[in-house]
Amino acid sequence: MAGHSEILDNVRSGMIPAHIYNDNELFELEKKRLFSRAWVFVAHESEIPQDGDYVVRRVLDDSFIISRDSNGDVRALFNMCLHRGMQVCRAEIGNASNFRCPYHGWSYRNDGRLTGLPFHREAYGGEAGFRKNSQTLVPAPSLGTYNGLIFISMDPDAAPLEDFLGDFRFYLDFYTKQSRHGLEVRGPQRWRIKANWKIGAENFAGDMYHTPQTHTSVVEIGLFREPTAQKRKDGATYWAHSGGGTTYKLPPGTFEERMRYVGYTDDMITRIKGVWTTEQQRLVGEDGFMISAASCFPNLSFVHNWPRVEDGDPDGDQNDGTVLPFTSIRLWQPVSHNETEVYSWFVVDSAASAWFKKKSYKAYLMCFGSTGMFEQDDVENWVSLTNTAAGSMARRLLLNSRMGLLSDDRPVVEPLPLESFHGPGHAQVGYNESNQRELLKLWADYLELPEPSAAPTAPGTARPA
Amino acid sequence: MTGKPLLFNDVRHLQAHQFLVDEAYLLDGQHYEAWLDTLSDDIRYIMPVRVTTALGAGFDTSPGMAHFDETKYSLSRRVARFLTEHAWTEDPPSRLRHYITNVRSFACEDPGQLIVESAELLFRSRGDVNESALVSCGREDLLRCDGGQWKLARRTIIVDESVLRMQNLAVFL
Repeated sequence: MAGHSEILDNVRSGMIPAHIYNDNELFELEKKRLFSRAWVFVAHESEIPQDGDYVVRRVLDDSFIISRDSNGDVRALFNMCLHRGMQVCRAEIGNASNFRCPYHGWSYRNDGRLTGLPFHREAYGGEAGFRKNSQTLVPAPSLGTYNGLIFISMDPDAAPLEDFLGDFRFYLDFYTKQSRHGLEVRGPQRWRIKANWKIGAENFAGDMYHTPQTHTSVVEIGLFREPTAQKRKDGATYWAHSGGGTTYKLPPGTFEERMRYVGYTDDMITRIKGVWTTEQQRLVGEDGFMISAASCFPNLSFVHNWPRVEDGDPDGDQNDGTVLPFTSIRLWQPVSHNETEVYSWFVVDSAASAWFKKKSYKAYLMCFGSTGMFEQDDVENWVSLTNTAAGSMARRLLLNSRMGLLSDDRPVVEPLPLESFHGPGHAQVGYNESNQRELLKLWADYLELPEPSAAPTAPGTARPA
Repeated sequence: MTGKPLLFNDVRHLQAHQFLVDEAYLLDGQHYEAWLDTLSDDIRYIMPVRVTTALGAGFDTSPGMAHFDETKYSLSRRVARFLTEHAWTEDPPSRLRHYITNVRSFACEDPGQLIVESAELLFRSRGDVNESALVSCGREDLLRCDGGQWKLARRTIIVDESVLRMQNLAVFL
């Protein structure tokens, strides 16, 4: 598109053309150059625990059946019959050994293999006319998992998921690996918001600055006592390769004491110590930082907070069982340049006690998701921003996203040395928009890449496509 | 509900119907403190997440996940938040209309309790740019007589969409 290099240059300098949050031309470019390549989260393995379980998820307009086949392997199958293109699975969750197309009755095993083709001999002359053997629903071009998180890439030549995630995996573990037993994932809640998908991703990546203002009300009602202006300023923000996030600074104490402060029980702390590396434990135990929100490029976010879920003395002992942590995974699924479908999951370590799971679930519902008291105010902001970004004036305004930088690009606050922050990437305390800039720099880099090529699939025929 | 509903001229049905209409008035006007007083102290207020499943799958809600799964305490925190000056999502407030219809009441073994079914359509308009939003749902309520007053003791909200077309549920149904 004309002039988009100027847009990307501005983005890289931390000056954001406001219309990028409501611009159909840019969205078309994002589809062709970004979502055609990047690894995108679709589901967690624990959503499909049994053989034959499936969920149906989309990447933009492409529908995929994420199934666990009868051998226990996870598959991502393009949900389109090879014959006339009908969706072979029209439910969003279930268990099936086969998917039968309702149009003409072609059927597929839950690993994608074409097994049923009515009147194969009469209609096609058998294998001579349509090679049924070894035909499958078209698999996702690339499939990868990390800690049970299932990602797909539309690029058949995508670099491995591990390389894409890079050092962000260190932080991903805090959210998704709290024992050897793995996560229990519930949901998602799904709802549509008239907001651009990038806003949520940026907000979760590093907007510690909005918390004391946007979320004043949740502090006032005693739901979460951390997000005061001072506490947010003392937290560190980090960026590592493909993702970054915010943290809170915890009161002094050992690893165990700090984990107890946010509400982890002793049995969970023991299991966590069994799977987190020494460096991961030092980030909490020595450096005193506890993860809060985070985003993984392009549109996957996480949040981990520790609200009060029951009546209790607001100034009393934090460890009285009324303050508990919860973790949520969320996906900002683009619908258009000004609409996003939010997928919000509650996740908890599967080995946690029933008591903890119940309270942590309650904590999630009170704070995030379709009814969450944090999320309600966030979305109001994002919808308003998106509306205002639609017009011609937004094309003349470069939003200043340079917080934390002086005019000569030197940082306002020096980065934390490794001995104060035992995680990879770079980190600093204080207010800044470093992570939002990192996320949008990756966005800009992708928008300059050519569209990846992929050979067409031509099932059944020996002739080249 | 199976079983025969109360006749529409049965005084118990009339009381249940009036309860729901009076409640809709409170919710339309966001008179949430008064609304909290109409809930029993042991209220359970649940709105499961609906999912699209194949016919015969045996379930149509997301296992273990709800939009609302509330007690009096958590509802009171939601109401308390609206009473702060910083609940931005409702400042300026939405224009709300709760339409209640298809009301059927059922007697319980305990004469102090009634089960009441209703259909609800919530219209919500915010600002002057975006289109208004609707939520359609069915509700099954347990009303309990408490000192001569009917109170809501349990509500299960069965929403008719798997993907909500509303920016949040900073409302009650």
